[in-house]
Amino acid sequence: MPAEPLARSERPLTGPFWEHVDRRELVRPVCSVCRRSFFVPQVVCGRCQSGDWSYQPSSGRGVVYSHTTVHRPPTPEFSPPYVLAVVDVCEGDWPANGRSGGDTDDYGEDDRDAWSMLTWIVGCEPERVRIGMQVVVRFVPGPNGELLPAFTPAASEDAA
Amino acid sequence: MIPSVRQRGASLQGVAIAGIGVTRQARQIDGTSAAVCLEAAMAALDDAGFPLAEVDGVSARWPGPGGTVFHPGSVDWSGVFGHGFTWVGDTYPQGAPGLLDAASAIVAGQCEAALVFGGRAGETVGSNSGDSKVAAYTRPGNEFVACWGSLTAAQFALVAQVYMHRFAPDRGRLAQIPATIRNAGTVNPDAIMFGRGPYTPADVLASPMVAEPFHLLDLCLASEGAAAMLVTTLERARDCRHAPVVVLGGSCEWRRQQYVNPPRYDDVYRVGASAMGRALGMAGLTASGIDVFELYDINSFEVVRQFETLGLCGEGEGVDYLAEAGIGLDGRHPTNTDGGLLSYSHTGFSGPTMKIVEAVRQIRGSAGVGQVPGAEVVMATGAGSGAEYHNAVVLGPDR
Ligand SMILES: [Zn+2]
Repeated sequence: MPAEPLARSERPLTGPFWEHVDRRELVRPVCSVCRRSFFVPQVVCGRCQSGDWSYQPSSGRGVVYSHTTVHRPPTPEFSPPYVLAVVDVCEGDWPANGRSGGDTDDYGEDDRDAWSMLTWIVGCEPERVRIGMQVVVRFVPGPNGELLPAFTPAASEDAA
Repeated sequence: MIPSVRQRGASLQGVAIAGIGVTRQARQIDGTSAAVCLEAAMAALDDAGFPLAEVDGVSARWPGPGGTVFHPGSVDWSGVFGHGFTWVGDTYPQGAPGLLDAASAIVAGQCEAALVFGGRAGETVGSNSGDSKVAAYTRPGNEFVACWGSLTAAQFALVAQVYMHRFAPDRGRLAQIPATIRNAGTVNPDAIMFGRGPYTPADVLASPMVAEPFHLLDLCLASEGAAAMLVTTLERARDCRHAPVVVLGGSCEWRRQQYVNPPRYDDVYRVGASAMGRALGMAGLTASGIDVFELYDINSFEVVRQFETLGLCGEGEGVDYLAEAGIGLDGRHPTNTDGGLLSYSHTGFSGPTMKIVEAVRQIRGSAGVGQVPGAEVVMATGAGSGAEYHNAVVLGPDR
């Protein structure tokens, strides 16, 4: 008989990420040796192969790198249309330290302190989402009620 | 630009495809994956006129890698075929990587005749034409993907959107690409979409939006069926029923695990450039020497991207380039002559093998209504940018 799936907060590698999300905090793995931020969490840093990394608080501020509005969801619990996005999360100067190009590879040469995640853009009509839009994290319930770290346009975008 | 290529290791040109087999393809097929896989494998043997008793290698990832305690219920292919093997592959996917693994095993003397096959049947397959069900393999279950309701089409859409933003290609010209490929399927009696269409760019643009920028007709099918190939030494292939199709070159590129990481255009746009470059280098050719392309067409954008990464045109120039060059039978670059994944069939696991099958048919001159006159050298590819891996083979006649 298959084992019950682990609660997300009990998963060996990613449990702490979700525990933080439950407290409405966004964190990301940061390598203690080369200081690289990376995502998704993995057993070692992809640049220097050190297993000495920890979850560190994120600025929660980023830039929309790409987005797509999904009209046909994979399963019925998702209600279309919704906006999937790749957000470049910027830990340094914002948004000067983010970019709409460049390489954020875990093993890339780029030293900018940014990392990327798949997420939703919420609180914004899908037609208004654009590449380069400044966004901030906002925790919203997913289909099963558990919180997810989505992003919403920053105040500066509302003024624009 | 195709990267400069140094020949690594032994040539594969002493290996050939001697037989191909394809079952009926349909949105849903009754029965089991094992049954359709076996049907395709036996068809490939029959096509070659090759005795089953002399098959000493097998690569059949789905529905089972040869029977193991780690995959309860997987198929024991040696039990099915009535004898053991000296080489068992477990390649994901089939297609180019399966062919290259088998060819490598043959060159290294690990086996002499390998059946490479896969497929699926009797699994729940949602039609992609009306309801919201999506085939299971297009719904990645990975932790930081599934929670957002992403799907493989959306992962590719996130790559394509950046391209659209930066280069703003003419959407009508872009839509001509899936329309042309689909129209090859319209006249292919074996294609799932046979008799549907023909399609115009306007039809593509008027079809329902799935995940921007992709309309329904920009995207591949999700279907069932199986495909197989018999790979053996060129010497043995010469004794088979059809002229051998030689493995001139091939290579793979595994960038990252598929559908786990956020798909960033700047990281994945060039996926496949080095694999295709190595494949061409092994064949001693450049991209302009390819007569027919059987490219992995999970969506319209990937066709453009592959031509750009082949170096036939620059980044952002592919849509205009292909509009001018043409990808139909009368074009400079005949592409996906059987209707491809867009219109013939896409079973997920044997889709890549279908690319090889059509390449073999072109080289044999048996591709029927889709035949390119005088086709000799064909490139077949698999996977793409959103999946973060890619692979390619160059096939040609025995000469
Ligand atoms: Zn490191």
